[in-house]
Amino acid sequence: MSTLAFSFTFLLMIVLMLLGLPIAVSMVLVGAGAGVLVFGVPFLSSTGAMLWGVLNDNLLTAAPLFILLGELLLRSGMADRMYGAMSAWLSRLPGGLLHTNIACCALFAATSGSSVATAATIGTVALPSLHQRKYPMPQALGSLAAGGTLGILIPPSINMIVYGSLTENSIGKLFIAGVIPGLLLTGLFMVYVFVNSSLKGDVPRENLPPLNERLRLMVHLVPPIVIFGIVMGSLYTGVATATESAALGVVVALFFAWKAGRLSWTMLENCFLQTARTTGMIMLILTAAFVLNLLISLSGVAETMTKAVTSLGLSATAMLLVLILFYLILGMFMDVMSMLVATVPITYPIVTALGVDPIWFGIFIILMCELALITPPVGMNLFVVQGVRPDSGGIGDVIRGSLPYVVIMMVFTLLLMAFPAIVTWLPGKM
Amino acid sequence: MKQQLERLLANLFGLVFLGLSFLVTVETVLRKAFNFSLQGAAELGGYALAVGSAIGFALAITSRSHIRVDVFHERFPPALQAFMNWLSAVMLGALGLFLIGVCWRVVVKTLEYGSAAQTPWATPLIYPQSVWYAALVAFAVYAVIHAGHASRLYFTGQREALLVEFHPKSAKEELKEELDDLAQRTEAGAKGNA
Repeated sequence: MSTLAFSFTFLLMIVLMLLGLPIAVSMVLVGAGAGVLVFGVPFLSSTGAMLWGVLNDNLLTAAPLFILLGELLLRSGMADRMYGAMSAWLSRLPGGLLHTNIACCALFAATSGSSVATAATIGTVALPSLHQRKYPMPQALGSLAAGGTLGILIPPSINMIVYGSLTENSIGKLFIAGVIPGLLLTGLFMVYVFVNSSLKGDVPRENLPPLNERLRLMVHLVPPIVIFGIVMGSLYTGVATATESAALGVVVALFFAWKAGRLSWTMLENCFLQTARTTGMIMLILTAAFVLNLLISLSGVAETMTKAVTSLGLSATAMLLVLILFYLILGMFMDVMSMLVATVPITYPIVTALGVDPIWFGIFIILMCELALITPPVGMNLFVVQGVRPDSGGIGDVIRGSLPYVVIMMVFTLLLMAFPAIVTWLPGKM
Repeated sequence: MKQQLERLLANLFGLVFLGLSFLVTVETVLRKAFNFSLQGAAELGGYALAVGSAIGFALAITSRSHIRVDVFHERFPPALQAFMNWLSAVMLGALGLFLIGVCWRVVVKTLEYGSAAQTPWATPLIYPQSVWYAALVAFAVYAVIHAGHASRLYFTGQREALLVEFHPKSAKEELKEELDDLAQRTEAGAKGNA
């Protein structure tokens, strides 16, 4: 298959997606269609065998288990109670509750893979009191929209599982690689709030509750921290694989829910249904992505494109800069998970042939997904945060408030390009 | 009836993964603490994923969770929106049929060669694969019924219903579901504390 024919196929797929056909359908239609045109009917027998191989791969079982873990923490109300505890400790800093927003999103992210749930839960708890205390709305909204994106960078992250599965990289290593960038980016967001609030002079600050009250509230931070510790600890020390660490997390989460008196059959049923739907949605697009992947690997188009790109004499840095632009534009219109599965089978071989570290590139892709969550017109988090705000401003406030964070993330991406060890150091120690 | 069936499937899905979590936990602890392996937890995990995914494919249809990009869709004229909604439902049905078509060959080959899993248990693959295939058939049937419903609406001119029932899920709707659940949780929490 020539590069030109493949480019046309890829373009057709993107057009079908943007017209509003289901993402999975667009990928299978184009992948299987082109496969049969090029290889005839045998392509379909390979497809069946490949699908069984992918769908019964225990490595991917981590996905439903981590989704279930997030659901358990969310639906049992454990995550809701973190805000009070966080704000008791952080709101004295210049920027006040805005720090709490970001830190809370980061911790919430450490337990849940859903950015909608993160932004909705924290937003609902935070925005009314921010409004009441006359915090500037764009800044409040921006901190929540951007904070919500941390969900896919700070492990466990479903997006990383999907990347790992598509590119045959260790999910455990990807998770560990996300830790330092996740903490750094959270830190950068907070530094921005600090500096911005201090410069404006009109510094929102809250009074700290008494120490014993603060200590008492810390109880609510125990479950998420313990679960995060067990999951990441068992992974890092090699005690457990990603799937096993997820299973450990689920069992511990059940224990905490039971201890808090929130373990009921109704709650479980709700978790089961949500988990099944999210799993179905993700696994169907992943299945479709593997059909596309099969076409790409059988046709050798990845090698052809890689050769074409390397013959241009493009350096890895130049290629990554081009990709930032590419993902920035694509992310404005496409859903994050769809963008990931549709593009990684092509960009991954090219970039790794140029010498980019596969784990590093995973984190890079996740950052591109994060950006896509807060760039208009289709930034999921922008709409979510706009939907929970208590006053009646336009979405322009959210976009304006998020813009500084877009800039921070771009600068952060460049920082990772300059110092790749930020990503690769910790997984290298495993 | 439909809701009960969905609940049943979802509970089956959930209990399988909950059971798997306990099994894997026991296996991991035994392996680390006593250097003793139950073997097979990983194998079962794979089968659970295969069957669970197929159940999930079906359950995601009703909640319109199968992602569609709606940025341009919502700017289309209503007639085109209705057409795209219909086409999406039909194509999803076609995808269901495609999957049972290509996976049928896998099951037939397993039967022909009497294949077994390359694991300590050497499970005859036909057992897990038949359950997996049955779940895929359930998805296909579900998707085809869904497509049939969309077609009936489309060809009897009930465009309004098609726009309401089959449009891509928006961020707003997803948010509303989260907020409803949050309100319930807060209420349950208040009761628990009282």
